[in-house]
Amino acid sequence: MEALGINLPKLIYQIINFGIMAYVLYRLLYKPVFTMLQERAARIEQSLKDADQVKEQLANAKRDYDAEIAKARQEAAAILMQAQERVKAQELELISQAQQEAERIRSEARAQAEQERALMFRDAQQQIAEMVTLTAEKVLQAELKQSHSALIEQSLVDLAKIRNN
Amino acid sequence: MARNIGIALALLALAVGSRIIYPMESLAIEVRADDLIPNTIFTNSMLVSLLVNLVLIGLAVVAAGNMQAVPRGWQNFMEWAIEGLYNLFKGINAEYAQRAFPVIATIFFLVILSNWFGLLPGVGSIGICHAAEHNETSMSEIRLAVSAPVDNMLPPSPFAEGSKYIGCQAGEGIIPFFRAPSADLNFTLALALISVFYTLYLSISKLGIGYFGKFFNLNGVMSFVGILEFISLLARIPAFTFRLFGNIFAGEVLLIVMIFLVPMVVPLPFYFFEVFVGFIQAFVFAVLTMAFIAIETQDHNEHH
Amino acid sequence: MEVEGLRLIATALAIGLAAIGPGIGIGIIVSGALQAIGRNPEAQGTIVTNMFIGIAFAEALAIFGLVISFLIGFGVI
Repeated sequence: MEALGINLPKLIYQIINFGIMAYVLYRLLYKPVFTMLQERAARIEQSLKDADQVKEQLANAKRDYDAEIAKARQEAAAILMQAQERVKAQELELISQAQQEAERIRSEARAQAEQERALMFRDAQQQIAEMVTLTAEKVLQAELKQSHSALIEQSLVDLAKIRNN
Repeated sequence: MARNIGIALALLALAVGSRIIYPMESLAIEVRADDLIPNTIFTNSMLVSLLVNLVLIGLAVVAAGNMQAVPRGWQNFMEWAIEGLYNLFKGINAEYAQRAFPVIATIFFLVILSNWFGLLPGVGSIGICHAAEHNETSMSEIRLAVSAPVDNMLPPSPFAEGSKYIGCQAGEGIIPFFRAPSADLNFTLALALISVFYTLYLSISKLGIGYFGKFFNLNGVMSFVGILEFISLLARIPAFTFRLFGNIFAGEVLLIVMIFLVPMVVPLPFYFFEVFVGFIQAFVFAVLTMAFIAIETQDHNEHH
Repeated sequence: MEVEGLRLIATALAIGLAAIGPGIGIGIIVSGALQAIGRNPEAQGTIVTNMFIGIAFAEALAIFGLVISFLIGFGVI
């Protein structure tokens, strides 16, 4: 062994040297590097998770947005329909009002016309009666007395009755 | 094409010329690490292992002293290396990859730096002169010396008369300042012991006393399997020790011999090969340790 | 023949003979691994790792030869 250079103290020196180096390298090199590698792996995983989350959030937002849009569209359609209905109702009301108004005006006009005719008729009766009386007075100045006037009056009433019928 | 041929011819001329101008007078190969300070145990390989420690700690401080979420520079490199090693270990045994990582990764880093340190210029070739006869073991015992004739040297020789080293007297050898720790059996044996006993520790702490059951398999004819298991466990120590030592030491010898034969150009591919071998041996040491942990921590009662 | 010469021959023979078997074995291992990679390139990482483990086992035999060679060469035995 000695011829090959193997020597117990030197061997022990190398073993101790190795032990010290293993410890020192563990503290100075392996541990920090492994910690860093793990941290980095964790960070990458975290970022991937975050990215997934963001993607999910985005998808959620998109879904919400779509739903919102659809709802808004529905509401708009409903409002439009309501408005149309209301307009139709108003239109109908207006039309009926107008019809009523027209009816009222027509009936008023008819009543007025009736009244005027009646008035005219009475005027005409009176005038006719006066004229007839005058004419009859003139014709029958002599012969006819006051007694005949009752008869004339009676005939005029009869005449009016016939006219009114 | 002509340019390539020109480069090849130039390289060839350089190789041949270097062979003529700088013939290596001798080469010295030592199996043992020399004591740098006499009468102590402080060897040149210990000095280099201290340097390797410093380099590793410096690397750790530079890489992990100020960790950033977005890595760059050394931090990026070390993270890549550590993550790669961790995934490699996890591929072999997911259960113990995390727990055994500090030990096995330290083995890997120490071994790879030690291997590559031995390839630096000046390692093994610069040292202090010492008189061979004062050494407690004679040169013939620990050195394989190959000599070459020196009389055809063209420039004035920098060597003293009869000396093998520049600046040394005749008959003196050198003690190199630096020697790769992997080419020192103490270092490789220490790592082998750590690897084997760490594996033992993990398997015993998992399987309890039942771990030793595989050595005492008393089922008739198959009882010799236990003995085989025991021998293979024991053989693991020299296998680890000499695999690393043999590869690195043989690599150094190969380079020295190549430089001895042709000082320039030719050693270059072998140099790259040794860089590769240095990595592969560190890889094999770490992977084998992890593989043995994976094998040993399996419950053997399940299979029988 | 001198003892020193015999020692040199024994040193060379020890590692030389010990390298034959592992050389063949490593060749077979790498060949198998390459075929496996050719058939299933996705499993390259695992195959290469296991290939190196297998090579290391085969190589251990050559290493033992190297040890014996050292022991003889440097006069331990």
